[in-house]
Amino acid sequence: MKRDDKPAVPARRIFLRDISRGAACAGAAAGAAGLLAAASADSGKSGTGSAESFPTPDYDWNKHRWAYAVDATKCIGCLRCVEACKRENNVALDAHHFRTWVERYVYIDGEEKPHVDSMSDPLNIEASGSEKLYRFANRYKDAKVDKAFFVPKLCNHCTHPACVQVCPTGATYKTRDGVVLIDHKYCIGCQYCVQACPYGARFFNHAKGVTDKCTWCYHRITKGLLPACVEVCPVEARMFGDLNDRDSVVSRFIRDNRVQVLKPETGNAPNVYYIGLDKEVT
Amino acid sequence: MDALHHASAFSGYVYPNETIIPWSVLIVVYPYLTGLVAGSFTVSSLYHVFGMQQFKPVARFSMLLALCLMVCVPMPLLLHLGHPERAFNAMITPHLTSAFAIFGYAASFYTILLMLENWFVYRPQIVQIATEGKGPLKWVCRVASLGSNDLSEYAMNYDHKWIYALAVIGIPAALGLHGYVGFVFGSLKSREWWSSDLMPPVFLLSAVISGTALVILLYVLTSLARKVAIEEPCVKGLAYTLWGFLMFALILEGLEIASMLYRSREGIDVIVTFLTGPLVVPFFILQIGLGSVVPLLTLTYVIVRGSKGRALTAAVFVSAALVLCAVLLMRWNVVIGGQEIAKTGKGLVSYEPEVFGREGLIAAGSVLFLPLILMFVATRIVSPWAEETRAAVLRGRTPA
Amino acid sequence: MPKHIARLVLLIVAFGVAGLAAKAFFTTDSFYRFGHYRADSVPEIAALTPVFQTPRACRSCHAPRVVEWSASSHKSVTCEACHGAAPGHPQSLQATIPTDTVRLCTQCHEKMPGRPLSSIRQVDSSEHHATATQCIACHNPHAPKIEAMAQKPAFDRKAVAASAAVCAGCHGENGVATNEAWPNLAGQNAAYIARSLGSFKIGARKDATMAPMAESVADDDVPKLAAYFSSLSCHAPAGKRAGNAAAGGKLAIQCSVCHGDNGRPVNTSWPSLVGQNSAYLASALTAFKDGQRTDPFMSPVARALSDSDIADLASHFAGLGCGATSN
Repeated sequence: MKRDDKPAVPARRIFLRDISRGAACAGAAAGAAGLLAAASADSGKSGTGSAESFPTPDYDWNKHRWAYAVDATKCIGCLRCVEACKRENNVALDAHHFRTWVERYVYIDGEEKPHVDSMSDPLNIEASGSEKLYRFANRYKDAKVDKAFFVPKLCNHCTHPACVQVCPTGATYKTRDGVVLIDHKYCIGCQYCVQACPYGARFFNHAKGVTDKCTWCYHRITKGLLPACVEVCPVEARMFGDLNDRDSVVSRFIRDNRVQVLKPETGNAPNVYYIGLDKEVT
Repeated sequence: MDALHHASAFSGYVYPNETIIPWSVLIVVYPYLTGLVAGSFTVSSLYHVFGMQQFKPVARFSMLLALCLMVCVPMPLLLHLGHPERAFNAMITPHLTSAFAIFGYAASFYTILLMLENWFVYRPQIVQIATEGKGPLKWVCRVASLGSNDLSEYAMNYDHKWIYALAVIGIPAALGLHGYVGFVFGSLKSREWWSSDLMPPVFLLSAVISGTALVILLYVLTSLARKVAIEEPCVKGLAYTLWGFLMFALILEGLEIASMLYRSREGIDVIVTFLTGPLVVPFFILQIGLGSVVPLLTLTYVIVRGSKGRALTAAVFVSAALVLCAVLLMRWNVVIGGQEIAKTGKGLVSYEPEVFGREGLIAAGSVLFLPLILMFVATRIVSPWAEETRAAVLRGRTPA
Repeated sequence: MPKHIARLVLLIVAFGVAGLAAKAFFTTDSFYRFGHYRADSVPEIAALTPVFQTPRACRSCHAPRVVEWSASSHKSVTCEACHGAAPGHPQSLQATIPTDTVRLCTQCHEKMPGRPLSSIRQVDSSEHHATATQCIACHNPHAPKIEAMAQKPAFDRKAVAASAAVCAGCHGENGVATNEAWPNLAGQNAAYIARSLGSFKIGARKDATMAPMAESVADDDVPKLAAYFSSLSCHAPAGKRAGNAAAGGKLAIQCSVCHGDNGRPVNTSWPSLVGQNSAYLASALTAFKDGQRTDPFMSPVARALSDSDIADLASHFAGLGCGATSN
């Protein structure tokens, strides 16, 4: 037990004290130096990368700038796209997890606001017979319909994605060819991105414990194929192409039409271009 | 996990992916706990930083309470995550544009700060147990004391400086820790109910009142249990604190709703339907009415009237209990309420919490009460009322 | 400073250093390469196997069908839209042949508010030939327009007649078989002949003689051969017929759904039953009944028939003669 006032410290103790302090500082310095070395080794890996094609030898992501287009004046609401997407991407077969879906807007004579329904509507589930099959119930066939139309929806692969901004780990990101992807091996499943997306495009994959969304069938487009929904659409309401190619379907679509995007006020700059939207489409 | 379990009923039109509500009751408990941490730390720093002597009886207690609460804070998040084993990804590669990424570092920093603060505050007792205690606890305390039994005036001076410095750092740290929770919600563009610049201050102020209320409740209860007199200046001080911050909190919350209704952006119809429908009882009647206005009026009355003694204690106790419930409801109405308003601006979803299961009410309730259990255990080891029981300790009392 | 403070500072510094070291150690190698994400994730996602093939993939075996389809009004409907994705087909998976065509076809074609008429022809299934149980009774799904079905494809008669000489060995000079057990081809629906040749080619329909024969016909020649034989005049079979034609006539009412009221179907991808040898008709029904030939519609129908029913039916249809054309 020490006395109350500060005692005279023997020289030996001062020496030991100084030595131990020096050792501590040296240790800290060594540790810091090691870390700096490790950090610079890490940063040496970043940058332009090697000259080889990425992500596959046959596909170089620097050469493409993908975009999607929807002609909502053509859509017939057959929902082949919804079925095909679920089949292609192994999405849960129920009425609550969708990478893409179609909305129906029906204006009844005398009413100001449209009736809107989609795949989760119980009447539509009944009409299809189960949550695994998708169909719009023909419930307005005897009604006085002023105007009606279908609007396909999917992830907009925004240029300034709110979902990427809020991801705490870096599990979701935008590729160089313009596709927003999710790393299923890194995602922790906090679902902040699901909250942040203004379009409701993201959902929680309960089977894998990570979030999920439309990937524009990245595994297909990097092989020269079209996304499954575009492939299967019987009336060519959905289009996909490369903005780097002036003559691609999407480039021509944007040039030849007055196109719109959904919720432009968010500032997300979506890359799915629509014609045939309506004032009530959100 | 069967997704169909969580599928919600809805009215109007909601996006198909919105029929499963992403953030459950666990995400209501999480900001509630961090709020209680910030609040109890604020009470403690009223003594340790601002030197307000009337708070001395609760200063050490609320410091320990803050630590017990903080330790439990990651729990609701870990229960909610799809991959809790990967939780450290947010610290290994924090995405600095994300408020959540800040959580890992802010929470770690704050936990360490609280541990240090409590260590310094209770160091004399730890040293006491290390030198005079018995059994495994003695060895734990020997490690915890870092092998030093120095309780000289020189050492204690150092300790006091550290306590002060940590408390000073702790105030902006607490504000940051809980302010960012408000930012998590307020910064999102996707939900009108959340998107507001006022969210961080609203969360902060409700945090302070919830922490103060908890300290009041526990102070009264522990004093009764220990058969020790309740010090009136302390109760009065706590009442003033609660009263002042409650007024502030109510004004800001009112401003937030007023702004939203005044601006009346697209989708306001559904919000008004929500406010005048499902939200009437939990928001207007319970959170605002019973939980905020009633305590405010009660406290105004006892303060203006200059009440004393048991009347004061009883009124403050009841007000604190109501405020504690109100803040929990506020978290519920913000987190769950925000998700019940669809992003389409055309529909409402209704959240039906499950009772069992990882994200159920029982799990959430257990997490909510765990800090109190921890607090109970901690007070068996070290005593926040050290001055009174120091004599008892010196007589060789071995903690159970 | 007091020793507990010194040790505390040391502990904090050590903790910080350890933390930073752990952060560097646990960061996966490819992270930060292109941005704030794990670069290896991109090729992982790109490497996933596509499920839907495209009509290009179907063409390699089903060329005649694909050719027929790509000239039709259904050319924007990809094969897999109706037949389902069949990854691993044909090695590990049969592509579905849809059996509930009303359900399938109305998914697109049901008249519904919101479906633009400029995009698709629509019918009200409760009114449009409401008694028909299958849309394909009249509509060839690979060339659905009724008007189009009546058109005969153009072909160079002399050129095709030369290659058709090979077929004459069994099917006769004028498309009338030399042996009653073999089918007459004269006047048969071109789309059906083409489909049959296609089936022999890929081995979906098995016959020791026809397989090499079909193999030897080039894909582009199939529709021309089919059109040639279709253009030849129907020949009413003579000769004795086993079985009771009158009884067969009663049974034949159920056949008219697909094969038409008088043996000539509206959907020309179904076989016309007129001008056909009764022996061949009987052997075909027996083959369906025994499972030597399979068809999602004919197999259950044939299994419900007894041997005497088969004889009666064959007698009835052979006895119809060439008759008047129904359309």
